[in-house]
Order: sequence, then structure tokens, then C-alpha cells
Amino acid sequence: MEKAAPFIIAEPELDAVIGKHLGKPGMLLSVLEEAQEMHPQKYLPGETLLSIAQKLNIAYSQVYSVVTFYSFFNLMPQGRHSIVVCRGTACHTKGSKALLDEICPLLGIHREANASESNFTTSDNEFTIKTVACFGQCALSPVIAIDGIIHSNVNSQKLAKILNKIKSSAKASGDK
Amino acid sequence: MQITINGQTIDVQDGLTIMDACAIAGIDIPSLCYLKDVSANASCGICVVEVKGARTLLRSCITQITEGMEIVTNSQRVMDARRMNLELLLANHPQDCLICDRNENCELQQLTFDLGMHGMRFVRTRKEILPKDETSASLVRDPEKCILCGRCIAVCREVQSVQAIDFSGRGSKSKVATFMDLGLGVVACTNCGQCALVCPTGAITEKSSIDDVWKDLHNPEKIVLVQTAPAIRVGIGEAMGMPYGSLVTGQMVAGLRKLGFSKVFDTNFTADLTIIEEGNELIKRIKTGGVLPMITSCSPGWIKFIEHFYPKSLAHLSTCKSPQQMFGAVAKTYYAEKTGLDPRNIVVVSVMPCTAKKFEARRPEMDSAFHYWQSRMDLSHADHFYDVDHVLTTRELARMFNETGIEFAHLPEENFDSPLGESTGAAVIFGTTGGVMEAALRTAYEVYTGKTLTNIDFNAVRGLNGIKEAEVDLDGTKIKVAVAHTLKNARQLLDEIENGTSTYTFIEVMTCPGGCLGGGGQPIPTNTEIRKKRAESIYYEDAHKGIRKSHENPEIQRLYKEFLLEPLGEKSHRLLHTKYVERKI
Repeated sequence: MEKAAPFIIAEPELDAVIGKHLGKPGMLLSVLEEAQEMHPQKYLPGETLLSIAQKLNIAYSQVYSVVTFYSFFNLMPQGRHSIVVCRGTACHTKGSKALLDEICPLLGIHREANASESNFTTSDNEFTIKTVACFGQCALSPVIAIDGIIHSNVNSQKLAKILNKIKSSAKASGDK
Repeated sequence: MQITINGQTIDVQDGLTIMDACAIAGIDIPSLCYLKDVSANASCGICVVEVKGARTLLRSCITQITEGMEIVTNSQRVMDARRMNLELLLANHPQDCLICDRNENCELQQLTFDLGMHGMRFVRTRKEILPKDETSASLVRDPEKCILCGRCIAVCREVQSVQAIDFSGRGSKSKVATFMDLGLGVVACTNCGQCALVCPTGAITEKSSIDDVWKDLHNPEKIVLVQTAPAIRVGIGEAMGMPYGSLVTGQMVAGLRKLGFSKVFDTNFTADLTIIEEGNELIKRIKTGGVLPMITSCSPGWIKFIEHFYPKSLAHLSTCKSPQQMFGAVAKTYYAEKTGLDPRNIVVVSVMPCTAKKFEARRPEMDSAFHYWQSRMDLSHADHFYDVDHVLTTRELARMFNETGIEFAHLPEENFDSPLGESTGAAVIFGTTGGVMEAALRTAYEVYTGKTLTNIDFNAVRGLNGIKEAEVDLDGTKIKVAVAHTLKNARQLLDEIENGTSTYTFIEVMTCPGGCLGGGGQPIPTNTEIRKKRAESIYYEDAHKGIRKSHENPEIQRLYKEFLLEPLGEKSHRLLHTKYVERKI
């Protein structure tokens, strides 16, 4: 299969976003946030960061500093589905590490050797698996957010059920 | 204002920090991140003191004194906190001090000793080994040795306005990084090396050429010539244990001979040559309506800076190569011809106060001597050589002296070899901010007016002010000149040029604070006080030179008579002048 050319946000669209925020306090964060949202893979490619830095007259190194400081920003393409496992204290004591470890076998994928524990995307760009320090839902621990929906009191069976559901929907949409 | 330090009441002026007030009281508060005139980001937690009424310990580097403040700097609580913070820093720091570039010249090592650390309770928490950044021709960064003090980031941003590096990540993942971790050799870094100068540990060092130099020195087929920049003679003594600013020209020459160099020459010779070419270029631009102001081009950090950030203004740069590069070109053409040496066997080693010179020597266009000989000797591409083969910093030269057990301070003084060792007072002052301007004015005045300059000291362009200016009367033609050191100040003059408000005819820019004597390759420490001492020695050498105007250098006159024929002539154009490129940021 031929690889599609990487998506880059069009100049006028980026200019429009920048025009909206230029000169306002916190302009860099607002522009970065919108630019990430505009990308179909919800991330900020290097080229986009360069354009933003130039247009806002902020040093490249400083833009990179901000992007790497906030875990909200992604430097790598994100999967179509996001799976966020809470690794806070309460969830940890209720076995969130085991759940995290089960995700890959349940999805039937191999984790790339160089992927870090806390953030990786499957090679087919279907799933991004991340961890967070705490959702603030400790009473319902362990919790896992899947595509923005928080699932509480998750155990192996429940996780398998949820993942199967996404997998089949992913397949269905892929077959279309 | 009255304050009490360790029970002793003293009177000090308002507005001081606790650290400054303690210094006045004779107490030196340790710190790993604070650096006068550069950085005060209060990250290391070493300078903490106890203040009566304050719930926590306070960081003395950023806390201002208040009336009646009672400060304790030596309580058990203070000592324990300092040791704890240091111990935490050491947990992830490699323990290979013995083979570190900064062994015995490391603030972290010194503090560990000073605070009487014995035993470390904390184990390393970082799992991975952070890779070195070796992309730059000039500098190597080793994030493993970094203690995240932020001095390098501060000097790059505040002093140089370059911002090649910044913190990336957060918490335990924090590190100093370039954009997208591309590396210093890829991003817009000027290679000035001020970061290496302020680093308290061995996290940023020059890319060493010592092994390459030894290899050529030990190769009997090679004729190894060495040239020393003006600022080395006021810096190398410090690195060999002598007082700050020691003027050691004679010892340096003797030491270099002992290392085995075939000839010990002087970059000052080609500094004089630069003045002849640049002075004539300036006069030509004034008389023929060329691009003005003309800006000096000796400082390779500055060159890379303007190529990255102000490419529209490149026509303002003098086309003259720097003295280092002129030396390489002259040594491998004129000197080779004169002595009958095969230029392929000549190795030119530079000793520079500068890390950017390493990059400059490898600029692809810096192979004029090869092109000179290519047709004459029918050379193939396999014979290719650069004008300058290796560049050593002052610190690297000191290491070579130490390696061979040279007792530097006690060496009897010796003189440079002829002919490329002859120089004037005008060349010596190339090593300090304002020096190139002053040297150029001494020559340009006489060439332009045909009259003898009686008072040759241009005091208005001396000293450590960021931007200095003067008006010079060239026998009726008045020109305004400016001198800037540090790239932040240079930026100001460039902005004036680009928005059309510049009133100058000639501008000197040096990349580093104080000029070359404060360069990124100079001994550590280098600070304002030390820079002043080195400048004093430079001006002392100038004042005591028999000849103080470049165009009166007899060997330079001979070089023109026998080889170059005339300033800005055909040979000069090929060997001594260069072009610049536009670089992306």
C-alpha cells in the first residue's frame, strides 16, 4: 500500500488561527491547541511548529519547550481511538498496571520495542494507548477512558468487552 | 540598610540580594545555577539560607534583603538542606569524574568536596542513558552530566539572543534540548560556546581535536604549523595555573615548540593582513558608493548569526576572511611557495579562544589554497585539503601542555618564527572588543588621508560597554563608527540597518562578551572581572609593541611585494576574501 503524503495544515487556515490569537496573552497555547485539533491525526508535526514559531516570532526551542511540557500536546500521530489508563494511586492499588498490560494482547497487537510505557500508538494508527496520573474518579477505580468516555470499575472481562466492541466497529468502518 | 548575618550586624545598601549582602560580609554562598550577569533562575537550591520569621529556607540568590533582616547561613538546618539538594542532584549524575573533560574544573565536583559529602544515599532514578548531541562541528552536549541549572539557556537567550536551546519535557523528564531534539549542528546555533563557558559541569564542551593534532605532530611526513590567536596569550596562562589575565606570549611560543610544531606562527600576522584588506575595502566602499555600513567579518559566530537571522543584510559584511582563514590560505600558498614545501604535507593548526572557529575551518568554501594549487600541481579530488586543518581551543592547548608535563610558567620566553610570526600592536588588539575597529582606523586614516596619525589610541571604542560609538575625522570626511560585542547588541545595530535608521559607516561586531578574550574556548572561569584583566594585558602588549599600525608590518609589506601585489587584487580576491550563505533558522 502506498503511503499517503503527510497532512500539513494549509497556510491560510493556520494564518486564520494565528490572526485570532496574535498579541493576546497565552497566544502560543491557544494556537497550538487549535492547530493540533485541525490535524486529522491530532498532533503537531515539526513543520507546523516551525510555521507557528515564525508567525508568532517565538524561538523554535521555546515552542518545543512548551509543546513537550504539556502532555496534552502530541508530537506523534494519534490513533483513531484513544485508550487512556489511569495510573493514579487508587487505580494502581486496584490493578491498573495489569489492565494496561492486557490491552495489547486483547487488541492482538505487538507493542513496538521502542515505545515508552506511557504513550504509544499502534503501527496501523488505530489505537493510541496513554496513561494519566489521575482522573479524579478514584471512588470508581480502576478507570479507563476510551475515546473520551470514562469506564469505571474496569476488570479484565469488562476491558475485553469494551475493546472487542471498538475492534469490531473499527473493522466495520474499515470495510466500508 | 541594617541587617544581621550570623549574629553580626552590618550596614549595606538597599536592593541587594541576600547572596550579594553576604559576599560583602565576607561569606561566599555556594550556588550551582546563579551566575552574575547571566542567570538567576533559582533552580539548584544550594544557596538556601535561614531568615528569621520565614517559614522555609530562602534562596539567597533571588531574595532581596529587607530592613532588620536576620540571616543565618551556617545553621545545621541550612547545611543539611544544601547537602540534601546536592545529593539529589548527584543521584542521576554520572560518577566518572576522573575521565571527565571538566575534572578538577567542575563546580559540582568542587561543591561536593566543599560541603563534605560522604556517601550517597540515593540511587539513580533515570532508567535510560540520554544520548550525547554530537551534531555540531564545535560543541558536544552530554545531557547525562546536565544538572538542569539553566545557565546555558540563559546565556544563549539573554546574552546572545539566539535561543538555540531550551528546557524540554517536565519533571523527571526535563532536559535541555534543541528544537525537536535535532541537535546543535542542525538548528540555528552560532557555535559561540558561551554555554560551555558557563556550564558548571561537563555537560557542554568543545568537540576536541587534540587526538587529530597529536596524530599529525607524530607523522614525520607532515610539516605542522601552528598559529595562535591574539587572545590566547592572555588566556593560556590562567589555564596553566597563573593569575587571571597573565600575559604569556613568550612562554606560549616556547611551549608550542616543545609540543613539536615545526613552526610557531601568529594569527596576529594575518590580523594585520586583514586590516590592510578590510581597511582598503572600507575606503573603496566609501569612495565608490558601496554598501554601507560595512561590518567586520572576523568572528565566525557572528557570521553564522547574520546568515541565520539577518540574511538580507549579508551585503553589509566585509568580504574579508577572518585572520584564522587568511593564515591557512597564506601558509599553504605563499609560505609553501617560498619554502618549496608540498602544500599537501603542510598541516595548519590554529589555537583559538573560540569554539565557532572549528565550524569556520570546515566551511566548504575554506579551501582556497587547494584551488590555488589544483591546476598548478594537477591535483585530484583525493588530494583535497582545507586551509586550516585543526582548531584547538585555549583549553585544549592547556590539556596538551599538561599531557606532556610542560612546566609552563617557568618556560624561558621565545619569539615567533618568521615570516608569518611578525605582527604589530594593531593585531594584538583584535583579541578585545573594539580592537578590530581601532586597528582598522589606524590604517584607514593613513591610507585615506595620506597623513601620519599622531594619536593612535582610539579610547572611545575601548571598554566593555555593549555598544560603543565614535566619530572619526578622516581629514574632512567625518564618519561614524560603532562597536558591538555579544549578539544581542549586534542585533540592535542590525535592526537599525534593516529599518533604515543606521547612521554608521563602519561597524565592528564580536560574538562574545568582551570580544575574543571572552570567547567560548577560553579558560573556565571567564567572567567580567577576568575579561577586564585579559583586556588590560592586551592593551599593554599593544602599547609596548615597536610597530602599532598594520600597514607598517615589514613582513606584510613583503607579502604584498612578493606575492599578493596589491590589496584587493586578484590573488587577494581568491585567497583572502569569501562569500556568505543564507541559512534557515
